[in-house]
Amino acid sequence: MNHRILVLASALIGLSAIPLAGQARPKPYTAPRTPDGQPDLQGFWTNATYTPLERPKDVTKEFYTLEEAREIVKKAAVDEAEQTVPGTVPDVHYDFTQFGLDRSQGPMALNLRTSLIVDPPEGRLPPLSAEGARRAAERTAARKSRGGPHDAVQNEPLGSRCILMDRNGPPMLGGAYNNTYQIMQAPGYVMILVEMLHDARIIPLDGRPQLPSNVRQWTGSSRGRWDGQTLVIETTNLTDKFAFMGASENMRLTERFTRLDDETLRYQFTVEDPSTWTRPWSAEVPWKKDKGPIFEHACHEGNYGLYNTLAGARAEERRAAEEAAKKKPQK
Amino acid sequence: MRMRRAVAGLGVALLLAAAPAMAHHAFSAEFDINKPFKLRGTLTKWEMINPHSWFHLDVKDESGAVVAWMIEGGSPNQLIKNGVTKNTLAVGTELVIEGYQAKDGTNKGVGRNLLLTDGRRLFLYSRESEK
Repeated sequence: MNHRILVLASALIGLSAIPLAGQARPKPYTAPRTPDGQPDLQGFWTNATYTPLERPKDVTKEFYTLEEAREIVKKAAVDEAEQTVPGTVPDVHYDFTQFGLDRSQGPMALNLRTSLIVDPPEGRLPPLSAEGARRAAERTAARKSRGGPHDAVQNEPLGSRCILMDRNGPPMLGGAYNNTYQIMQAPGYVMILVEMLHDARIIPLDGRPQLPSNVRQWTGSSRGRWDGQTLVIETTNLTDKFAFMGASENMRLTERFTRLDDETLRYQFTVEDPSTWTRPWSAEVPWKKDKGPIFEHACHEGNYGLYNTLAGARAEERRAAEEAAKKKPQK
Repeated sequence: MRMRRAVAGLGVALLLAAAPAMAHHAFSAEFDINKPFKLRGTLTKWEMINPHSWFHLDVKDESGAVVAWMIEGGSPNQLIKNGVTKNTLAVGTELVIEGYQAKDGTNKGVGRNLLLTDGRRLFLYSRESEK
């Protein structure tokens, strides 16, 4: 048997060696340059994190101490690898640790922040506007009118259908696994390859305008520019079919990428959508150097799960119909 | 049904497995919480594909007849990045799978725990291998 098949995993090795993001630095870092003179952001990066988007309600400060942050990561790593109880819904799943997928088995930047949201300063999403609340209710009603979640393939979530996941965004937020991104730069363009679900964002940097407003895309229309050491990407032309956290298609997104050191890229984004939230909000995520290559996600190729889910729902309906027929009084 | 005879140890919780939420899809919609199984079989193919990998196994039932099973596992991306290939887990390896069967009653399941025949849990990659 191959030596790589190991029988004991230690989930916590190397945590003490994780470099810090968000700390005061003695001198400003200057990113290396590409041959055409741009700050070089190229390579593989991961946005894996245990830091929640919104600050936990029992936490009042913006930053943890280094010791607190390490302790929280350690506990989260243990929780993530924890054993589930047979016969419970979470147990109906493969084991992340057996596939090296739990976050502590890969690179991850340590974040002292108590939430990814940095503005509003309380670290939580601003309230929904009246229009945003109304739209959320309308969307829920529309979803229900289409039937149950497994009545038709179109009722399944976009991720289950291999169309789009939160790793894509935009904005790009990590999930439980497959949080790697590859950045490539060429004169006039930057390309960001999203591991899950293998989407390449190709963003012009030449100052051209956004697509006409009647052209709507899953990931919108993105245009980039440099602001000193920082790559700024603005995105509009989103679609109502993919609503980031309940946003409208009019959401305007600004993403900012800044290298903090050889190992860390700071990813910041601001969401402006007055028809959804009462004020704009911003978040910040440290991305850590990762290794490649990214294996093509090719989600449709192995998505037997979608078939099995629909087949399972039909089997349950047949069983229910048979039972109902048995209960029916005989004439 | 032969398949049912191949399913041994129903509901016996010998070992616990980790299973965080937030996967690609809802596994409890695909597999039946009321159909736990423990089976022993020989690996015939490992599909290292996304969104989740699949293990194909030949499983002998009590009468000695061989039935084919498919077991769903995790995305292979992190494994491939760390040098694991299809050959890492050789065809012919005997595995013990604890899991839950597909809701439609076919010979498919999710492997909540993958074991070698000596009872050790199967870790396809872990940071330990970098030491």
